[in-house]
Amino acid sequence: MKRRNFLLAATSGLAVVANTDHVFARALAQAPLPGLPGGADRCLVLLNLAGGNDGLNCVVPHGNERYYQLRPVLAIDRHEVLAIDRNVGLNPGMQSIKALYDKGMVAIVQGVGYPDPDHSHFRSTEIWQTAAPDRYEHTGWLGRYFDQAPPARGNLFEGVAVSKVLPEVLVSERTDIPAVPGLGEYVMAADRNVAARSVFSREATDAHLPFASPYLAHVMEIEANAQRSSEELPKLVAGYKTQASYPATGLGRSLALAAQIVGSNLGTKVIYVEHGSFDTHVNQKATQNQLLMQFSNAIGAFYDDLSAHGNERRVLTLTFSEFGRRIEENGSRGTDHGEASPLFLIGGGVKGGMYGTLPDLSATNMGNVRYTTDFRSVYATVLERWLGRPSAPVLSGSFAPLPVLA
Amino acid sequence: MAAQQTPVDVGGIVRPVGRLDLVTALQPHVGRLGDRAAAHLLRRAGFGGTPDQVRRYSAMTAREAVASLLAAPPVSSITPPQEFEDVGGPVSMHREKGREGREAIVTLQLWWLNRMLTSPARLQEKMTLYFHSHFTSRATPMFPWITYGQNTLFRRYALGNLRELTLEVSKDAAMLLYLNGAQNVAAHPNENYARELMELFTLGVDNYSEQDVRESARALTGWSVNRRTDTVTFDAALHDSGDKTFLGQTGNFTGDDIIGIIFAQPQCARFFAVSLLNWFVYNDPEPQLVDHVAGLLRRYDFELTPVLGTILASNLFYSPRAYRALVKSPIEFVVGTYSALGLAAIDEFALAALGQMGQRLFFPPNVAGWPGGKNWLTSGTMIARQNFLTRLLDSQTLAGSSWLQGLPVSSSTAARRLAQTLLQGDAAPEALFELEGYLSGAGTAALAPLSVENYDQRVRGAAYLAMATPAYQLN
Repeated sequence: MKRRNFLLAATSGLAVVANTDHVFARALAQAPLPGLPGGADRCLVLLNLAGGNDGLNCVVPHGNERYYQLRPVLAIDRHEVLAIDRNVGLNPGMQSIKALYDKGMVAIVQGVGYPDPDHSHFRSTEIWQTAAPDRYEHTGWLGRYFDQAPPARGNLFEGVAVSKVLPEVLVSERTDIPAVPGLGEYVMAADRNVAARSVFSREATDAHLPFASPYLAHVMEIEANAQRSSEELPKLVAGYKTQASYPATGLGRSLALAAQIVGSNLGTKVIYVEHGSFDTHVNQKATQNQLLMQFSNAIGAFYDDLSAHGNERRVLTLTFSEFGRRIEENGSRGTDHGEASPLFLIGGGVKGGMYGTLPDLSATNMGNVRYTTDFRSVYATVLERWLGRPSAPVLSGSFAPLPVLA
Repeated sequence: MAAQQTPVDVGGIVRPVGRLDLVTALQPHVGRLGDRAAAHLLRRAGFGGTPDQVRRYSAMTAREAVASLLAAPPVSSITPPQEFEDVGGPVSMHREKGREGREAIVTLQLWWLNRMLTSPARLQEKMTLYFHSHFTSRATPMFPWITYGQNTLFRRYALGNLRELTLEVSKDAAMLLYLNGAQNVAAHPNENYARELMELFTLGVDNYSEQDVRESARALTGWSVNRRTDTVTFDAALHDSGDKTFLGQTGNFTGDDIIGIIFAQPQCARFFAVSLLNWFVYNDPEPQLVDHVAGLLRRYDFELTPVLGTILASNLFYSPRAYRALVKSPIEFVVGTYSALGLAAIDEFALAALGQMGQRLFFPPNVAGWPGGKNWLTSGTMIARQNFLTRLLDSQTLAGSSWLQGLPVSSSTAARRLAQTLLQGDAAPEALFELEGYLSGAGTAALAPLSVENYDQRVRGAAYLAMATPAYQLN
């Protein structure tokens, strides 16, 4: 195997090594793809509402007396609820999402969960990310999607995690997916070594190394990817003009970058973002309302930005949280770990409305909302109806898609 | 966990090419080690050696070197981290909860990393990490003492008996909390620990039935953790004392009986043989080799000292197939770097870097532990590795590297010594040539010739270049 730049080659300010396989050059040369659902230019944005979002104070069952009985302190007042119908409405902080709902761009699926719920943040997060409630998988469900549909040769940005550490959902056998906390943070630090790299970046061949290793080719490939992707990403997205005022929150910054990546036509299929923590054992109301408002405002700006570029139909946002919370409030004005909760699908390609079954607050599972829709049905919907791939190999089983996409 | 489980996926693990010579594989390696083999041994049986240590071991035979590695001090002689010295600790500490607990875990992480770096009993620390990766438990900031207790338990048995350690682990507070043993009572058995005990810790999937899981869970009932004192108690009233049928035997079994039956299965020795070969030699070992090592484990009744002694002194261990055949874990990468540079103590910034590289001590990704192999390396973790090197080489800490600071102001000598000390010469000739060119400043207008003025910066840059070669990612 011949290897270019066996060390860290030229960085900013120095010539980029000529490479005939340069996918980025091709990506930049491409005209914007037509923004039609069904095209190959669709992107999934997976939003992790980390910590266990309390579903009942998010999609509020304001028509249910039992909700008010079980939550004398925490229940959202009826007159504050952003009513969707006589049964449910949204948390008062979620005005932007309510506006998108009214435009038919939001589908809410109630009671999503999985059998034998696990109440550990850690394990339940892992279950949602691996889509494997009954076994341990070290790959995520979207990682397996990439393994089933390997990225176009050389494209390093078919999946992007906007996070410090690669989330398990994007861990894959064969695809190296970059975790990019922000453009300024996805860089090889080493300015001092720029000169060093330029000297140390000539070609070398493995054949001259005085040892063999079963991992040598992998190390070289990943080094080259790391170097190339960190150098190229800022350049590839530099031409994008953000056309919305995002809130100055972590999620606002993450979604601004997501819109920039989508709008730069890098062939990105999946972007992961996260928001939280929703682990509201104590004094829930102020904390959760604030987090939901941040979620809603960032999503509002995101779709404004996407719409201004004609991309709103290209991007489906799917939320998840490791669990909902206990129906009855605890003694600390908070709620403890629960089970099923609602999730959101947002975008121009969504058939808006309420789906699933309203939570039954009487027939509970030891005080928790029982799940009525298996989360893998939602994943199957996204895989088959949005990303256009068979879901069974990814989910190790057959799950019926939901009719939530237009 | 649900009742039905399918195998744990362990992708990303690759066996070296070439043929195994089974006849000579476990025979002792003859002759003095030399620098390369000594550094290899110190990387595998520890976390890499300082230049002085490599020099000292290079003059030894494999047998002498391994005898030195197998000498471990009793755990009672080890000074705990300061926060854990107070005997009345448990109660006072988790009264404070939250922040203090998290700080205690950070203290413990740093303390352990520094033991890995400085303990003369490096194999003891390497096996402690092995057990942490094998008998996984995750820290709970509420109970830092429980995590410390488990760490001490692993260290105590690092070169001890695998069966005895498994008996202890089954009654260890961290494990009872992590895998719900503390909730496993006669009236409501919780099968989590029983299942993982067989699936991940001793036998592997398909070597027991669902019935065996249920019956062994009953046998393991009755242990609980007093969360005020962090102590473990056995309550006979919570134990199921009825007959159980487990792996073909019937009796009024306790948890200890269950573990005795497990260790009498030939598969148990094979399971640990695979695991130890993966850890010390190379990945995905051949079945015939596994049987050989399993035979050793049985012959020595699961005593680790003679088994590890045989493996680490063997022809197989020093064969080209085993050399650089593993991917460095983040811990090996970080501690090994401090060691190779001859630095005295791990900086606190290494903890955040380790998190970004994907390995936080006491926080394995799940009960199956860190998957290793190719899984360690992604673009993001590679950037984290390189940025950690940059940060360390830019820091004041580097002033403590006497050999680096003392390199001669001669580019050819300095380049040779860097490649030798950091890579044992495992670089392509072109790389050595470029390294020398960088040091001398020849061949580019960007660099002034090496001088006393630019010497310090240039040497730091050259060390970075040497450590950014592929060999440095491999163990």
